[in-house]
Amino acid sequence: MAESDPTLGYLTRKDTEVKLPRPTRVKNKTPAPIQITAEQILREARERQEAEIRPPKQKITDSTELADYRLRKRKEYEDLIRRVRWNIGVWVKYAQWEESQKDFNRARSVWERALEVDYRNHTLWLKYAEMEMKNKFINHARNVWDRAVSLLPRIDQLWYKYIHMEEMLGNIAGARQIFERWMSWTPDQQGWLSYIKFELRYNEIDRARGIYERFVLCHPRVSAWIKFAKFEMKNGEVARARAVYEQAVQKLADDEEAEILFVAFAEFEERCKETERARCIYKFALDHIPKGRAEDLYRKFVAFEKQYGDREGIEDAIVGKRRFQYEDEVRKNPLNYDSWFDYIRLEESVGNKARTREVYERAIANVPPAEEKRYWQRYIYLWINYALYEELDAQDMERTRDVYRYVSFH
Amino acid sequence: MAEERPVHPDCRNASNPYHECSEYCFQIIAQAKGLSEEKELEREQVNACSNPSATNTVDDQHYEREDAEEHSDGDNEPPIEDNLGVDITKLTGRKKKLFELRLKMNEARKANQTAMVAEKKKMEAPAESRGISKQKWLEERKKKVGKILDANGLDMSKAYMLDTQDAAESKYKKWEKDPAPYGWDVFNPKTLYNAYKKRTKNIDVDLDEYNKLKEADPEFYREASSLQYGKAPKVSEDRIEKMVKELNNREEKRKSFSRRRKFHEEKDIDSINDRNEHFNKKIERAFGKYTLEIKNNLERGTALPD
Repeated sequence: MAESDPTLGYLTRKDTEVKLPRPTRVKNKTPAPIQITAEQILREARERQEAEIRPPKQKITDSTELADYRLRKRKEYEDLIRRVRWNIGVWVKYAQWEESQKDFNRARSVWERALEVDYRNHTLWLKYAEMEMKNKFINHARNVWDRAVSLLPRIDQLWYKYIHMEEMLGNIAGARQIFERWMSWTPDQQGWLSYIKFELRYNEIDRARGIYERFVLCHPRVSAWIKFAKFEMKNGEVARARAVYEQAVQKLADDEEAEILFVAFAEFEERCKETERARCIYKFALDHIPKGRAEDLYRKFVAFEKQYGDREGIEDAIVGKRRFQYEDEVRKNPLNYDSWFDYIRLEESVGNKARTREVYERAIANVPPAEEKRYWQRYIYLWINYALYEELDAQDMERTRDVYRYVSFH
Repeated sequence: MAEERPVHPDCRNASNPYHECSEYCFQIIAQAKGLSEEKELEREQVNACSNPSATNTVDDQHYEREDAEEHSDGDNEPPIEDNLGVDITKLTGRKKKLFELRLKMNEARKANQTAMVAEKKKMEAPAESRGISKQKWLEERKKKVGKILDANGLDMSKAYMLDTQDAAESKYKKWEKDPAPYGWDVFNPKTLYNAYKKRTKNIDVDLDEYNKLKEADPEFYREASSLQYGKAPKVSEDRIEKMVKELNNREEKRKSFSRRRKFHEEKDIDSINDRNEHFNKKIERAFGKYTLEIKNNLERGTALPD
């Protein structure tokens, strides 16, 4: 019977039963004379804390004592890592303690064991390599970095630090080779940019250009192209910059961020004092981009025209913008005669007869839905304005008569 | 009666009525004196150089005396002329030595000149390797702004008055910063890249050494798969030292990454222990805003009817 329950071992059921006191009934329900609060209890508990017991500080005097100390510490650490193998912090502490004892072989072995536990932890690699670098073991460090970068190629920090080490040591060709290796993994923009900055630090402009070309192939985004063009501008290569912009426009005309590209291109042409080209670019961009996104573009265009264009150009630009707004409004709400009126007034101010007539025709096509007076009131005003316009501004009597006749029919 | 101020008559600030000479002044005076003495010496040397005939005749006399004594040489040289347009083959013995010495002196002078020029170049800004340097562009901008300001009668301190509204708006935009990442996002790719960029500012770019390495290595522009991967050039000790120093610097900086927070004594004690306090801080951070209401109700003793 005793062995029937294996979890109990040598004890029996009777021994392991928990014997609680029988719940008695409470007789006196008045509050106790001395009350105590929770805070009081906490404060007392805090004050009564005894200082933590620390082992006395011992000074190590000779080598046997040192050996003893080391043995003790090693045993401690080994126990710890046996207990919690996956706690990287303990491994790191152990390895760094061995480093502080200047026992590099043991430290390396601890690091390698830690890597066996979790090689995907980039901090382990970083600390391992840092240990080798700080203690001037350059080839060991290179080995560690190489392994790290081969196992975890998507962690940029490892690449950065490896390259930085090679550059600090003056091994520029080696650094370049590592950069090339990294680029074959097509990292994100910052990786490419750091490669370009590296080449520019040594004034290798042609190589930087080559890298930029690969960069825009790898990341075919507007910001990449703009960076390329700005780089060419910085070196004063205006023709190349223009070529870059043209290529970009070819490839990215339908991109969702194309307006930024157009704006940048136009600003570049402005800076080169090519106002005609800039104007063409603005117009092309405005044609290309759907109206919803063209807000910023319009603003820039108007500013540009104010600076460089003549009066007509400016008016054209401003009117164009307002025209768009009104188009939006009337599309949303064709029965809102107020917006129609504003639109008509705008067109009249421009003075373009064809457009004005067109807008009038469209306006009067929106017949009010019901036969109620208030809807028709405004509608009639539209007709009246149309007739007046034809009479006064266009001086076209025939058309005026046409309009009146049409109105009287309805 | 004017007091006797401790002013040295040679001090450059002697004309200033409030100046009193100090140690520094005396050093400057001593240096100035040294320089003026050097200048005099140089002037003498220049005079000496411009009168080589004087020295030559002195030398000639010396040599002729020696020749008179030593007939073993048996040279009957014409006296050496001023501009050293001498037939080298005819010189032997002491005259040859003299010629060689003069050659050496000339070379030394040339080397000095080149060294001076190089130093001067180093002191000035380096030539613009690509495009216009930022400094120059800024200076030009400043000059233009200064001119316009003068035209309007404004001061440099009021330079902002020239900005259009758009320009002013864009400047204000710069002041708005994105909120700094906190918590688990502290080491996002952007911040790591910025940290790397900052570190690259410490690299001293030694272009001479770079060019030397370029010449020495045929495979300087390596592909990723180059077989030269393991081969590293000999690394000089001071480079390693620099690297170690930089790493130690980084470690120091790392220590100041998180700051120690202030200890509020007036706050209520809700823990019995230091570990307990730390734990309470952590859970307050995580759950504080959700349990605020409950805590207030408990403090009050009754819940609010809401």
